[in-house]
Amino acid sequence: MKWPSSKLGYTAAGMTVLAAVLVPFLLMGLFTKGFTKLGLHVDEMYSGGPTVRTIQENGYTIAIHRAVYPHMLQTEKPFVQLDWKPISALPQHVSETVDVDGGGQPDVRVSFDVPKDPKTPLRVDVDSLNPQYQAMRNVSKQKFSELIVRVDDAILVRVPLTGR
Amino acid sequence: MADAACTAFPGKTPPRTWSRALLLTLPIALWSLFMSLRGLLQPDRSLRIASALTAALMVVLFYMMMKTSSTYRWRRWFFVALGVLFPIEFIHNVMVLRGSMGIPIEEMIAGRTPFCFLPIPLLILPAALTKTLVFPGSLLPGGGMAGAGMAAMAGLWLAITLVVGKGWCSYACFFGGIEEGMAALPKKAQWKKLDPRLRLVPWAVLLAMVLLSLALFEPAYCMWLCPFKAVSEYVAARNTVGLVQNGIFVVLFAALVIVLPLLTKKRTQCTFLCPFGAFQSIFNKTSVFDIKIDRTVCSPCVLCQKSCPTMSLTDDSIKRGETLMSCMKCGACVDACPKGAAVWHIRGTQVAVKPERARLMFLYAAWAMAAMFGGSIITQGVATILQRVI
Repeated sequence: MKWPSSKLGYTAAGMTVLAAVLVPFLLMGLFTKGFTKLGLHVDEMYSGGPTVRTIQENGYTIAIHRAVYPHMLQTEKPFVQLDWKPISALPQHVSETVDVDGGGQPDVRVSFDVPKDPKTPLRVDVDSLNPQYQAMRNVSKQKFSELIVRVDDAILVRVPLTGR
Repeated sequence: MADAACTAFPGKTPPRTWSRALLLTLPIALWSLFMSLRGLLQPDRSLRIASALTAALMVVLFYMMMKTSSTYRWRRWFFVALGVLFPIEFIHNVMVLRGSMGIPIEEMIAGRTPFCFLPIPLLILPAALTKTLVFPGSLLPGGGMAGAGMAAMAGLWLAITLVVGKGWCSYACFFGGIEEGMAALPKKAQWKKLDPRLRLVPWAVLLAMVLLSLALFEPAYCMWLCPFKAVSEYVAARNTVGLVQNGIFVVLFAALVIVLPLLTKKRTQCTFLCPFGAFQSIFNKTSVFDIKIDRTVCSPCVLCQKSCPTMSLTDDSIKRGETLMSCMKCGACVDACPKGAAVWHIRGTQVAVKPERARLMFLYAAWAMAAMFGGSIITQGVATILQRVI
């Protein structure tokens, strides 16, 4: 009775050594591809969610993302992300009304300076023209749901929503 | 002396002749050379030298394992080098790219947070239930510090785990080396009586962190408990909560990675906190290699128990002739046993029948992984130092 189990054990050990040889050439790539095919995506609280609409302005665009709602006990507020890009085409001071929900009426007025030095901290003011969106005063980047940051060639503003 | 002991106790493998040890090292020498080829062909002189040094280190250590039939002390050199050089290379890269060890929120939004293996168990439930990864990284290569992305790290982890199981914690983890180095410094442990129930804490931490990560939709361990944030990177303190989080990282690092290993000669962070280690223990059940105690020759001197860095041997487990599932196959108990009762073993085979064959098969697999993964990190660390020196 010992012989078959012993044979199986050595076979499995041999296959493990073989698997070790195959890790850099086959297994690692295979498993990596497998993970990418699972259809997983990074939490929208970090990524900001997919872009749903783009507004063309003079030389730059405003990308409007789908509203992001917190999961379960996440402490952040729901928000919508607006991207101004490219930064090089933005005026020194941006102050404009944005129709966030595509209803034909402006929902918020967003105002911020665009400093030439990319390391200068950004500050944003948001006036609410629609009670669905919260006003913000002199906000920097304390929370994921209320911020203004520079990411690559875009300035991202996240405007919190009032309800869930 | 050693030969006499080996004759008296057949489980103890005698030291080999240099030629036989060299012959057994040949496959690993070729593998190490192959793994370092990419670095050796780089125009950067520091990287070429670092690749050559790393390959030489891996070959020499494996040769010594073959020559002396001792595993733990030679593996420890590799593991400590890995644990020390990883933070050097990582912090250097972070400082060059960002100028700070704190992760700015814009880097998190851009998906450029580097992903290590520790949060893997925390991501499983949210991913399974909502297809969402609760980590501010990139699934695919995302530039900056994102490296090859989360999918590549997960793929690498799964592949190596398939080969070495819980041996990950001895041959692949780039964090454990610091505390193993600390534990090696004192000659004797000052604190010898450790409550065995503390071994259950990592399981409690794992359960709590998995549930919290699902509830808060964030990698709770990375945000609140990971001691290695102190030597890698941390969430930039934007408010009081951030300051508290960073304080916790520093205190846990100082206590569990520096002070307690010095006092106990154990890997205390791995034994008493690490939820990834607890999660990885599950894969001990799928690995074909394990450590057994040959009850026919064991006189319970408990030297194996004392030498185990993760308290994976108890009186009961020794009576049963096996280690606990937290055993990370470092080989300390096998080396410590004067009678050769603690032996490497392949599941399904008889205990203490050709234990050296089991050891060799495990070491070929584990060292191949160590040279591939840990070796590349050591190379980068050495290259970082060399770039500063030459």
